[in-house]
Amino acid sequence: MKKLAILFVIAVLIAFSGCAQPEKKATPTPVATETPETKAITIGVTDKVTDLDPANAYDFYTWEVLQNVMGGLMRYKPGTTDLEPYLAESYEIKDNGSVYIFHLRKDLKFADGTPCKAEDVVRSINRVMTIAGDPSWLVTDFVDKVEAVDEYTVKFTLKKPISYFLALVATPPYFPVHPNYKANEIDADQTAGGVGPYKISKWVRDQELILEPNPYFFGDKPKTDKIIVRFYQDATTLRLAIEKGEIDIAWRTLAPVDIQSLKQNANLNVIEVPGAFIRYLVLNGNESTEYPTKDKLVRQAIAAAIDRNDIAQRVYLGSVEPLYSLVPKGMWSHKDVFKTMYGDGNLDLAKQLLTQAGYSEEDKLMLELWWTPTHYGDTEKDLAQVLKEQLEKTGMISVELKSAEWATYVDYARKSAMMASLFGWYPDYIDPDDYTTPFLKTGANRWLGFPYSDAEMDELLEKAATSTDINERTKYYEQVQDKLGEDAPIVPLIQGKLFVVAKKNIGGIVLDPTMIFRYYLLYWQ
Amino acid sequence: MASLKAYIVTRALLVIPTVLILLTVVFFILRILPGDPIAAMVGQKVPPEVVEKLREEAGLNKPLIVQYFEYLFNILRGDFGKSMIWGKRPVIDEIMLRFPATLELTIFGFTLSVLIGVITGAIAAFRRGSKIDSSMRIYSIVAYTLFIPWFGMLLQMLCGVYLKLLPIGGRITPGSEPTTITSLYVLDSLLTLNFNALIDSLSHIFLPALVLGIVLSGAYTRLLRNNLIDVLSQDFIVAYRARGVRERKVVKHAMKNAFIPVITLMGLQFAILLAGAVLTETTFSWPGMGTFLLERIQYRDYTSVQGAIVFYALFVALISLIVDIVYALLDPRIRY
Repeated sequence: MKKLAILFVIAVLIAFSGCAQPEKKATPTPVATETPETKAITIGVTDKVTDLDPANAYDFYTWEVLQNVMGGLMRYKPGTTDLEPYLAESYEIKDNGSVYIFHLRKDLKFADGTPCKAEDVVRSINRVMTIAGDPSWLVTDFVDKVEAVDEYTVKFTLKKPISYFLALVATPPYFPVHPNYKANEIDADQTAGGVGPYKISKWVRDQELILEPNPYFFGDKPKTDKIIVRFYQDATTLRLAIEKGEIDIAWRTLAPVDIQSLKQNANLNVIEVPGAFIRYLVLNGNESTEYPTKDKLVRQAIAAAIDRNDIAQRVYLGSVEPLYSLVPKGMWSHKDVFKTMYGDGNLDLAKQLLTQAGYSEEDKLMLELWWTPTHYGDTEKDLAQVLKEQLEKTGMISVELKSAEWATYVDYARKSAMMASLFGWYPDYIDPDDYTTPFLKTGANRWLGFPYSDAEMDELLEKAATSTDINERTKYYEQVQDKLGEDAPIVPLIQGKLFVVAKKNIGGIVLDPTMIFRYYLLYWQ
Repeated sequence: MASLKAYIVTRALLVIPTVLILLTVVFFILRILPGDPIAAMVGQKVPPEVVEKLREEAGLNKPLIVQYFEYLFNILRGDFGKSMIWGKRPVIDEIMLRFPATLELTIFGFTLSVLIGVITGAIAAFRRGSKIDSSMRIYSIVAYTLFIPWFGMLLQMLCGVYLKLLPIGGRITPGSEPTTITSLYVLDSLLTLNFNALIDSLSHIFLPALVLGIVLSGAYTRLLRNNLIDVLSQDFIVAYRARGVRERKVVKHAMKNAFIPVITLMGLQFAILLAGAVLTETTFSWPGMGTFLLERIQYRDYTSVQGAIVFYALFVALISLIVDIVYALLDPRIRY
């Protein structure tokens, strides 16, 4: 009987686990003769790959993986923010920027040798529009019609002229995908990929991702025959993994304190580059609420009281840069408007503005500052605390810190339920439009929950988005930033830097403000 | 044995209202909590009308009671639904992808906790009043109060970074997985005679299982010690010894009697182990149910959380049933 019971227990355990899904295997790969120790590069991340379908993937890290196993008609030249034709040989812009015609290369093939032609591009983009997944607005908001003019020519007819459409075309929703992708539904675990330097040879969700060169890729062969991505749950484990040598590169995201510490490690290189990730404080100006932040003077006073250098040093230990505009430093048209208008930690100006707004040391401005502990890392609590200290230094503001989990936080934001809240922004496309229109244009900024609306601002943004002259656009975006500084509905705080920690003998780490880590450039020195 | 069969049937039937109550509570609590799964998934950038459309697609605009009965009806048909976030994969696929990892860790953690607990408890009882007894008692308290992330990191630094003996995290070195049969890597490695994978998977599971094992062993140490001391002072043991029965045999009889409460605790600990695995899985980047559940609660992925909890409930009920059967087999005096 005892034996029977033991057998029963074993049988139950096996039955429970036996129905587990086997790992997803992609197209067969010839067996590599090199040992992993000599050829593979292992990258550790704390991010996750959400779904391998560009019709639904809409997070920073999944897009990075897609950029390595797929490609768009345009791409950012590595090391720069300049766009260049990629799957396209050339392009034409017609009808004042409302028609874009791309001429494809004739040697495009997916990783299994299937040719990629204009019809594949059209099929993939129509698929994104039909599925209407999370990032589909990047296509549907702009594209009226996409068609294959011939085997190698794709024509986009836009809803209105868009000057930055080439940047949009470089984003994953525009990438052609293999015909194996399900036609009209999300194919979250599909590994067939697109036309890129690598193909996915193995994928175990939340555990590992193995990339090997696409033998049919038209461009240069990747410098490393195997890239292994390992997924870690937190920054501490990632740090220990690079220290132990379990991974060759520690990528996103190490904590500032770990970066400082790893800089002392003689066996590792800490590479630092400017990123296009920004953090900002949203001040709710919704007229239908009772929030004091409705008053422009209050918003200006808060903008003046904040000391960004102090935040960069105390909270982030120098791993970020102060930011004085929504358009990040290094991007064309950037202007340090908040520095010019308010300075940093300018308490005198802040007090003066608060007095004008009717506040005093006896009758303080009561501010609720919201932050979330579950989305921006462990430093978020410190950021909120330091901001509280800085604002209370005026002697005329009393700050109450409030927090909510991300799911609640975003919901509150959409419902305009937070007086002042901390948010961050990763760009979808590298253009000042992506840093201004979603925040400042009437209607486009509804996600922020406060209806900042200004006719002059809308007109400037519209002109900047449709003009094809870069000088004209620059002028408009500078005016947009001036107005942003004046109205201060959003106060920029810091701009992120990117940190890669790698073993000394790894070369080819090319990072730029696009923040795309191109695995195909990596190699052992 | 007939009464045991009746008991099993009754227990199995009792699982139904248990799961139903649990499911109902989880269903409504999740929805009462502030936060929205769609907003959490798409973040800030997606236009409000798209969010609204996604909510409608997910059925979140329907009256709560309609959502509840629809979900209940689907569960009865064995359909756990689809996840609300990231690829909207079937919940059962999400669970089955992660459950083997948790089960494997639980089995190893459980075995180690019992082994350590029984050994330390027995030593303490047989050396009652000695320094060793005191040490074991201190051990049981310290083990029970250890904070898993802190203790785990300590072992990671010691065994991983400094001694470079064991991996920091993960289930296996990428690319070394054995052929999938049960998705329990250690068992699959054995079944396929893949000894490289066996060593690799054992080296990965050792630290997380040890952490879980040590933390949970404290309760066994104390329980077994106290029970054993009690049993050793009973008349039948005195009588055994008086008749000159060999000490080894005395120990065997004493252990068997002292072990019955330990079996009860084992059943309870197994459920705690599943919960304790959340911290261990996070510390050791173990891709199991704990981290999955935590992540999905944060994102308010209603269907995944509900599915995982129903699955857990069924599993714990099954384990309790198995424990009861083993209990009856071990002690024939027990009647149901």
